[in-house]
Amino acid sequence: MKTIGNILIYFAIVGGLVFGLPKFLSWALDTPYPMAAITSGSMWPVLKKGDLVLVEGVKKDDLAVGDIIVFENKERKNFTIHRIVKLDDENITTKGDANFNEDTSISYKEVIGRAVKLGSHQFRIPYLGLVTVYASEIR
Amino acid sequence: MTETKGKFSNWWEKQTGAPPKTWHKILITVFLLVFLFVFYVTLDANKYKAFVHVVDGKSVIGVNPTSEALDFGDLAKGTSAVRRVDIKNGTAIPMWVSVIKTGDLGELVSVDKKSFVLKSGDEEKVEFSIYIPASASIDSIYKGRVYVFKVPTFGLIK
Repeated sequence: MKTIGNILIYFAIVGGLVFGLPKFLSWALDTPYPMAAITSGSMWPVLKKGDLVLVEGVKKDDLAVGDIIVFENKERKNFTIHRIVKLDDENITTKGDANFNEDTSISYKEVIGRAVKLGSHQFRIPYLGLVTVYASEIR
Repeated sequence: MTETKGKFSNWWEKQTGAPPKTWHKILITVFLLVFLFVFYVTLDANKYKAFVHVVDGKSVIGVNPTSEALDFGDLAKGTSAVRRVDIKNGTAIPMWVSVIKTGDLGELVSVDKKSFVLKSGDEEKVEFSIYIPASASIDSIYKGRVYVFKVPTFGLIK
């Protein structure tokens, strides 16, 4: 009886983490996409392939040059995580740190959020995004 | 009639207070075999030190790989270089080859074949390509290691 109780508690904890954590993060970080996996080396060495980053909702006025943002890439039909290099009232221009060229400018409504920082360092969890990396490579 | 016990049984009995059971012996034998197998594969692996020097000026491709190193030389940002390593299976059994790269350089290097099966007596070229991104620091030396593990397939992998 005790073993069954322990198993139930175990599954409740695992279930709570798997289903509850994204919902909690979504609420706490004020965005529908609170986590993102890094699937390319375009932000090397700040963010590495396979890293998992947290994304926070951000208002237009809070964005600044140097911020790493997640935005909807309409050309590639996916999300991109790059650094802001220029911004004005209408548009934002981003660039991957490892890239030589700037991306096509985007409007503010395409911004999903900003990558969370821990003090002065970019917050990242190494290897936790590898599942997404493999899934994107299979596709 | 006197019963003779092995050194292992005596040692086990001294440690645990009871003679080893059959399943203890099986488990320890399996563990030892797995340990020896992993030890052999690790010892037999080809290990290469890999390095590249990021320069501001003109790229100078490094010397050809020796049996110990993958030297990519002096490379400027935005340039790339390729190094090839020959892997030969000199044994009588097929080997599953797995290429693993580590270190800072490992993040910049891509391998054309990460894993493959090498039949007895066959030889295969593995290509390592490096591209120096815009965010690489000038005058930095990026180092890493490349391991080529050869694991006997025992006919399990085709």
